[in-house]
Amino acid sequence: MEYASVFSILATGLAMGAIYALVGVTYNTMYSTSRVMSFTAGQLGMLGGVLGSAFVLRLGLPLVVGFALTLACCATIGVVTEIVAVRPVLKSLDQHLYVLSTLALSLMIQQVTAIEWSTEPQPFPRVFGIGSGVWDEKFWLPIAACALVTLFLEWLQKRTLVGRAFLAVAEDNFAAQVLGLPERNLRIAGYALAGAIGGLAGFAGGELMLAFFANGGFLNFYGFVPVALGGLGNNRGSIVGGLALGLFQQAANFWVGGVFASVAVFVVFIVVLLVAPQGLFGPTTARRV
Amino acid sequence: MTISRRAFNIGAVNVLGLASQTIVWPALAQSEQIRIGWLGALTGPNSAPSDGFNRGLRYGVDAVNAAGGANGRRIELITRDTQGDPTKAVNATQEMISALKVHAIFGPANSGESLATTPLMARAKMPNLHPCVVNSLIDPTKYPNAFRMGPSNRQWDDAVRNYCLKILKVKKVAVIGDTTGYGVTAVGDSVAAFKTDGADVVYSAQIDATQPDMTPDVLRMKSAGAEAIVAWSTSTGMAARLFNARAASGWDVPFVGHPSLGSGEVGRLIEKAANWEKVYAINYKSCSFDAEGKLPERTQAFLDKAGSKLDLKGTLLWWVLCGVDAVDLFAKAVIESGGVSSEGVIKFLNAQSKYPGLFGDYSWSPTQHNGYPTDEVVMGMANSSRNGALKLAPGYA
Repeated sequence: MEYASVFSILATGLAMGAIYALVGVTYNTMYSTSRVMSFTAGQLGMLGGVLGSAFVLRLGLPLVVGFALTLACCATIGVVTEIVAVRPVLKSLDQHLYVLSTLALSLMIQQVTAIEWSTEPQPFPRVFGIGSGVWDEKFWLPIAACALVTLFLEWLQKRTLVGRAFLAVAEDNFAAQVLGLPERNLRIAGYALAGAIGGLAGFAGGELMLAFFANGGFLNFYGFVPVALGGLGNNRGSIVGGLALGLFQQAANFWVGGVFASVAVFVVFIVVLLVAPQGLFGPTTARRV
Repeated sequence: MTISRRAFNIGAVNVLGLASQTIVWPALAQSEQIRIGWLGALTGPNSAPSDGFNRGLRYGVDAVNAAGGANGRRIELITRDTQGDPTKAVNATQEMISALKVHAIFGPANSGESLATTPLMARAKMPNLHPCVVNSLIDPTKYPNAFRMGPSNRQWDDAVRNYCLKILKVKKVAVIGDTTGYGVTAVGDSVAAFKTDGADVVYSAQIDATQPDMTPDVLRMKSAGAEAIVAWSTSTGMAARLFNARAASGWDVPFVGHPSLGSGEVGRLIEKAANWEKVYAINYKSCSFDAEGKLPERTQAFLDKAGSKLDLKGTLLWWVLCGVDAVDLFAKAVIESGGVSSEGVIKFLNAQSKYPGLFGDYSWSPTQHNGYPTDEVVMGMANSSRNGALKLAPGYA
């Protein structure tokens, strides 16, 4: 294999893998405070790109302002998800109604974006304008964003009271409520955080994926794979799973071509789930019964 | 003879009833609006062509209505967005036939959808004009109601192949398309025709249009020794990514293919203007600037007349002109046949020989429903778009 191919696999594979990983972390962050798999995770990633492009290129706002507004809007949509699609179905989690409610909201977000934004991919602004070839910022920005989010979540969970409260709610929300933790407020904060992480994924990956409404469904799909591979609620597993998925997908693009690459990805995904149904890294905690 | 009040009332009701059947209803029918159904993928990843057709159809309807309608009857354009989804197109077709009772349908504008809707329209004997290119969509025996306004894939294929082999004089080609029904069919037809003409097809593949990086495919084509890349896709995102990947790999191989390669959307997505050089998109003589930068007389006269009423930004002129022509053809069919019956409209269309449209001179007969003249199909320089028209590609006299 030529060097150009290897570098392309590494650059694009790791960049796309980092985006998938961040969407996986978005799924996990929502799940950890509510026990709900929210299918708006991928749409938040899509909105990160679309809103970033809208604020910076269409409205002409400075990049920093556009970035901050993008994260704020995505965090707000995260909160709206909690209020509209999650809270009403929390009492009947065993019926899995959240699948319908979050999927419906996800489709609404996608259709509204298609109508109000564009149905064709739109350009995304250069963020720093640094690098070219395989060192172009479009490849390393998602990786940097993924590393920052990982460090931030580690710091949040290990060094802050709020982070520990998140963990407590994630482990046993009934016990957390008994201890006096504001479970509902923490859940809202968790969805806002998830929204911001999803938005960051889309913003950092905007130059690579463009500002395109259809990215939502794409990210919903591929962002779920690292969650399943890494274990539900396990952020470290999601990040490793996401990066592995990106690399494998890009390598498959080289070896077998675009259409068959998707097939190859899902064959491996199914095999992994057959061998390790809890994901390669297992769930975050074992529950004593 | 005495007539009782009861007998008088019964007689009067019968007379009025008869009169309403023989006089009033035909009068109402003749003043009824002409309902044209329009099935377009107005949203979704392959919506660029339908957006162009939509502009032309709306302009055409407004123009006919402003001139007093067809035989005094106004045209109503009933639009359904199929989103490029054959299932949605089928549902919309059923609705148009059964519930909305349209008199004729334009579209779908996407071959994958048309493959699903054409048999339905044939069963309902619904006059159908469409611009879809898949060859099998036209069969006057199976689908006597379906008429093609644009070129067929074979005609596109001929133009692209002739340009590659006779003007660019390349021997080795790569043929790629997207994963839609259209992309798969077009690549298959194109590969077969190149091989028949003795060319070496060194690479052929379907590419997922949402794939963020096209480098793997570009490098594979480069390794295979392709001297020209023939691309069949309506996805502007895919086209722009291919051009960017070509530039990043330091390759200047020409791209030749689908009209979408010259869409204004592509220009917004390429990383550098130079990435769009040496890209030749299918175009038409009626929409081509000559060496002096002039459009054909008929086209220019129309654009002068339309002025600012017609938005040509970010679309292709032929999509718009085809939409305008479709409305004009339906209106003329109503005028000539004296009504909206499907038999009358179909008979009118079957009798056209070199009907002077804006997009081209259409000819149909009971045995030939491919209406667009092959010699009108040419290649244009993709990056030369102005008002949706392109400069003729290098090599044409």
